[in-house]
Amino acid sequence: MRKKLSLTALAFAAAFSLMACSGNTAETEAEATEPAAEETETTEEAAETEASEAESESAETQDFTGVEISMMVPDWGNPGEELLQRFEEETGCKVNVTEVSWDDIRDKISIAAVGGQAAADVFEVDWSWVGEMNSAGWLEPIEMTEEDIADEPTLETFTIDGKILALPYANDYRIAYYNKDHFEQAGITEAPETWADVEAAMKAIKDAGICEYPFSMPMGAEEAGTTSLTWLAWAKNGVVFNDDGTLNKDSVLDALTFENKMVTDGYVDPAMRTATGMDCYNKICSGETSFMVGPTKFVNFISDPEKTAEDVLGNVEPILLPGTDGTSDRTMPLPEAYGVSAYSENKDAAIAFVKWLNSPEIEKELYTANGSIPNRNSVIEEMITDGTIKTPGAMLEQAQLIKSPFPNGVPDYYAEMSNTMYNNINQMVLGEQTPEEAFDAMDAKIKELAAQ
Amino acid sequence: MKKLYNRLLPYILLLPMIILMTALVYYPIAVTFSYSLKRMKLTRPNDIEFIGLQNYIEVLKSEDFIYSLQNTVFLLVLVVLLTTICGFCVALILNREHRLSGVFLAIAILPWAMPPIVNGIIWRFIFFPGYGFVNKLLLGLNIINEPVDWLSSRFLLLTVVAIVTAWRSAPFCAIVCLAGLKTIPKELYEAAAIDGSNSFSSFRYITLPLSLPFLGIGITSSSVTAVNIFDEIVALSGFSDTGKNLLIQNYLTTFSFLDFGKGSALTYIIMLLTSAIGVFYLRSLNKEVSY
Repeated sequence: MRKKLSLTALAFAAAFSLMACSGNTAETEAEATEPAAEETETTEEAAETEASEAESESAETQDFTGVEISMMVPDWGNPGEELLQRFEEETGCKVNVTEVSWDDIRDKISIAAVGGQAAADVFEVDWSWVGEMNSAGWLEPIEMTEEDIADEPTLETFTIDGKILALPYANDYRIAYYNKDHFEQAGITEAPETWADVEAAMKAIKDAGICEYPFSMPMGAEEAGTTSLTWLAWAKNGVVFNDDGTLNKDSVLDALTFENKMVTDGYVDPAMRTATGMDCYNKICSGETSFMVGPTKFVNFISDPEKTAEDVLGNVEPILLPGTDGTSDRTMPLPEAYGVSAYSENKDAAIAFVKWLNSPEIEKELYTANGSIPNRNSVIEEMITDGTIKTPGAMLEQAQLIKSPFPNGVPDYYAEMSNTMYNNINQMVLGEQTPEEAFDAMDAKIKELAAQ
Repeated sequence: MKKLYNRLLPYILLLPMIILMTALVYYPIAVTFSYSLKRMKLTRPNDIEFIGLQNYIEVLKSEDFIYSLQNTVFLLVLVVLLTTICGFCVALILNREHRLSGVFLAIAILPWAMPPIVNGIIWRFIFFPGYGFVNKLLLGLNIINEPVDWLSSRFLLLTVVAIVTAWRSAPFCAIVCLAGLKTIPKELYEAAAIDGSNSFSSFRYITLPLSLPFLGIGITSSSVTAVNIFDEIVALSGFSDTGKNLLIQNYLTTFSFLDFGKGSALTYIIMLLTSAIGVFYLRSLNKEVSY
């Protein structure tokens, strides 16, 4: 008994000593996680001076001889050996790239940040991470000229409180695709301009037995489920979130009702309720669906014989997103960007590198290197004109309508909000909830998050 | 001097391991414990403070914890049952000596060597809701008229996850049990046969009791595997609420929602639960068998 008591006492003593130790550690960590918050003012001042200097001199004139920076990106974000070599020749700065899976990048950045370290000098920043990374102080602001900002509408997504936090490299925004052949077989000669047109076309195509499931939309319990509801409400009603960050009931409930109707009327393959977003999008290439709204990279896929079925090639056309009274005047951007770590010891070189990658000339080459759609409208226009981008359809026109659906920028609780949204959307399409119930559940959680 | 050297030598030899274990195991455990006692959300770097056991209380009270605990317990029971039964049966088959024993052993071990995420992806194709292998098979045999959505309802999904996990963990259980079976003296069976024992009673009174310590190892291992299922669930149903267990909830809290305080508290709760299971098994199954 005495032995047990001694052991218990020893365990408590150890626990308290650990807590005591951790108190000091905590302070250090709190300090470590704050640098950007504390340094923001000084950084802003310094950034302004540095930026004006940096803008006046291009990457070629900057000398970073002997400097090495690290870059952590998914495989599709790797600029490739050729471009990295060119940057080194122009500036003397060597870039070491580590390819990491998309999900793991965020984990590595957060773990390193807890210890006050940079997981890499330059890393992937998805549009959905920018709010939390800004609040956590993990990103170094980057200055851009007014001309650049006007040419890159996707920059808006990475701008919070007037600070540009990352520079986009993959321009993804939602654009509609329809199979002209399916529509014509059903007697429809015009592309759909409103969601009522889409619904009527889906009915005509299904009833005529042309396509069993003519409408494709991600509805699984994953991020694509959230973004699908967001672009639908955004394109259909022009609003998703109120100014206080809560959901706009009329718009979102309307979008939920439309989504649910597509399922209950049998226009959507039931398997899509548990399939991934890519499974849904690929259906346009295989001819298993007649209409979808999807990523811009499918503009390339629909003209690629390796990605698209032979009888579908040439039949799919990218068109503007439908709206309520005509085509919608907006679309949602979902770009990916390169950000510079606030903990980087080579911020100047890292900023010069991401700005170099974002320049018009390199954006064009990046498209050839890894297929990233350029962010600058001027570059898209040039590539459509010179035939680099085949079958663009309404790609450029749609790019000019990019607007972020988040009135105050992407919130720092986006991950938690998205988790609530996609799980409730999924429950609705599985028949477990009505659109009203799904909305109420989402609304309650988002109100709680926004209030915090 | 030599006496002192001899006394110190064991400690000197242990020192590298003590340093490594302290740096890589005990220190992270201690730091995680300290995090669990703080309000620590990475998106609020200026709001980190000591809050005692508040994180533990909030985690234990939350609906997400209860739901994921239920899923974890369901998976634990099913995985342990499937792994133990399948593993022991495979061990009994492999224990019979014949020319193809080596080949069968290699085939039986194969799933064990499979990385969990690859295992999950393969089985996702098999159970794919529309045109997966199982649906095609059942449709071809006219057992079903429409494809079954295997991954949409909670307990159907968890059953699929349990099958997938058991397929990966059963080989280890089989190998451990096979090692145990090989150690049972043949004389015991010969003596039992002389006393009139049939196959069933030999199994009941000799094989099973003498295999219990090895089964204990298999059950403990499969229990830890069941509590730690992650990749298979992610591959089959992503991070959906439907199939989430404690580990998925922990990952979401810590790395997705960046709440390191609550995430660390949940880590400790999972660690305590796993330890309790381990102690229970070791006490119940590691008993001496007497004849």
